[in-house]
Amino acid sequence: MRVSLLIAILLALCAPLAGCKRSLSTRDVNEFVDRADDARRKLYAPEICALHGESFTQTVNFQGYMKNYGPTKIELNRKLFCQEAAKLSRIRAYKLERKSIDISLSADRKTAVVKAEYVETRPYYDPDTTPVSPDDFRDWQVIESLDESVVGIEGGDVVFLSAKSDAAQTLVPTKDLAVPFVVY
Amino acid sequence: MRSLAGPAFLLVMFGGYAIYHLTSKEEGPSRKFTELEFAGADADHTGSCYSLDTVLFAQRAFSKATRTWTSPREDAWTLTLDEVVEGHAGPQSIFRKYTFEKHGDQVRLVSMEATEKVSIDLTTNIDELVDGPDDLDSTPVERCRAEGAKGYKFRPSRR
Repeated sequence: MRVSLLIAILLALCAPLAGCKRSLSTRDVNEFVDRADDARRKLYAPEICALHGESFTQTVNFQGYMKNYGPTKIELNRKLFCQEAAKLSRIRAYKLERKSIDISLSADRKTAVVKAEYVETRPYYDPDTTPVSPDDFRDWQVIESLDESVVGIEGGDVVFLSAKSDAAQTLVPTKDLAVPFVVY
Repeated sequence: MRSLAGPAFLLVMFGGYAIYHLTSKEEGPSRKFTELEFAGADADHTGSCYSLDTVLFAQRAFSKATRTWTSPREDAWTLTLDEVVEGHAGPQSIFRKYTFEKHGDQVRLVSMEATEKVSIDLTTNIDELVDGPDDLDSTPVERCRAEGAKGYKFRPSRR
């Protein structure tokens, strides 16, 4: 009786470990990136944020639509990254398309480098004006980016550990593009 | 022996929770520090009539920046505000680092660091911080609730 109780307790304690990841496969990473892309499409910051590790950092080189200005470089820690994700929750129309993905697993299969090309379309709000509503904009901003992310395991879950992004922005008049509304 | 298993299990559970709670808590100043009156920018460091907590709450109301506290030395705390702002050239990151220090019953802004183009003049920044609770008509500290109370740039409630 005592032995069976002990076994039951041990099994109960080990059960959560069964769901923990110890190593990565290309399929795991592909599924994870699909999930992350879906979270971005929903513009739901808590879900986006949860897929990024505690020490996550992102470097973005951004070439704005005004080519006479050089690219800007920003570095975000996880807190700031999550804050930026939350800012996007105000917009109502958004499109994210992944054009390509390339996954390289490390030899120990603990991490993977994901190179992916994206095209993101969302409203462009002129920095000099204050929009009266989320629909108060004239142009879409189309941002083409090449992202290089490191994916790894943290606390048994697959997460982004870091990311580098080279992005270029162009503006397109709203009448020239149909962008789907975000379904919350 | 068996009678000790239950208490031991509870001890492990609460011990684990306590360790998690203590190690995962984000560092920040105590209420004792943030409830001190924020000093003005004049030579006499006249009290602003608002606690640091009230000043920072008002600042938060007008800002989307993330906040991180660190302590450079005893009785001093540095608040780092980070934000990304959209410009014509694209997104740009801006940071501000305010170091506050306890002096008697007051807390003073003693140094400032910031991104280029952001003022690090102490008077300018103190004035900006003090304007916040004034604009929001926040509750002043105890000593300023009486009629005729005086404080740095303090305007008694307009309501």
